[in-house]
Amino acid sequence: MKKRYWRCFVCNDIHYGIAPPELCPTCKVLNAYVEITAEEARKIFGGGPDIAFAPADFRGAIERFTAGNEFQVNPDAEKVESLLEGVFANEKNHGLKYCPCRLSTGDWEEDLKLVCPCFFTIHETYKGQEKGECWCGLFVRRT
Amino acid sequence: MAKLLLFHGRECPHCKKMLPLVDKLEKETDVEFERHEVWHDEKNADLMRSFRPIIAPKCGGQLRVPAFLNTETSDAVCGEMEYDKLKEWVTRK
Repeated sequence: MKKRYWRCFVCNDIHYGIAPPELCPTCKVLNAYVEITAEEARKIFGGGPDIAFAPADFRGAIERFTAGNEFQVNPDAEKVESLLEGVFANEKNHGLKYCPCRLSTGDWEEDLKLVCPCFFTIHETYKGQEKGECWCGLFVRRT
Repeated sequence: MAKLLLFHGRECPHCKKMLPLVDKLEKETDVEFERHEVWHDEKNADLMRSFRPIIAPKCGGQLRVPAFLNTETSDAVCGEMEYDKLKEWVTRK
C-alpha cells in the first residue's frame, strides 16, 4: 500500500499516510480529510512558516519525544554531540536528518528508515536487549 | 582493488572508537585497510553502495558503519568490537 497525501478541509492539516485519519488531531472534526496531490501538499507546506531547527532545538525535540517512552537520549554528552553534528551535516548535505552511522542507499523509501529518530525499537541492537540502544547510540533504554 | 576495505563516517562515534584499533592492528600485523569516509565523499559512498549485496546481509540489512569488508572472501562485519575480535575476523581464512 502506497502512502498518499490528505488535507483536512476544515483546518488544512496535512497527513501523509495510507489512509486519512478519522479524526483531525488539530480541529477534532470527523471525516475531514480529502486526498490531494504531492504538489498541493508541497505548496501548502511551502507557504507555511519556515521552521528551522538548530541542534539545540532538535535536542529539545528528542528529549520531549523520549519523555513518555522506555528509552532516553544517551547520557554520554560527547557521543550525543558528535551524533547531532553528523545528523545536521547530513541534513545540510543530503536533505534529511540521516543517521551518521548508516549510509543512504539512494532509494527514497528505504532511506526514510534512516531519518533520525529512526524506528530503532525493532532493531536487534534494542529489541529484547537489557542495555538496548539504537544503532548509532543516540537513544538508549532507560535503566 | 584492495583486499580489506573500511567504510566509516566522520561523525560516527563507533567509527571514532574503531579507527585507533585499526591503526593498532595495521602496526602489529601486515594487514592494511583501504579507508573510505562515506558521508562526506560521494565516490566513497557509491563504492560502499556497490558492495551492498555483501555488506547489508551481515549488517542488519543496512549499510551500517563502521563496515569492514574483505573483498576476497566476500565477508563483512559492522560496528564496534573488541580488538581481538577484529583481529580474528581479519585473519580468518
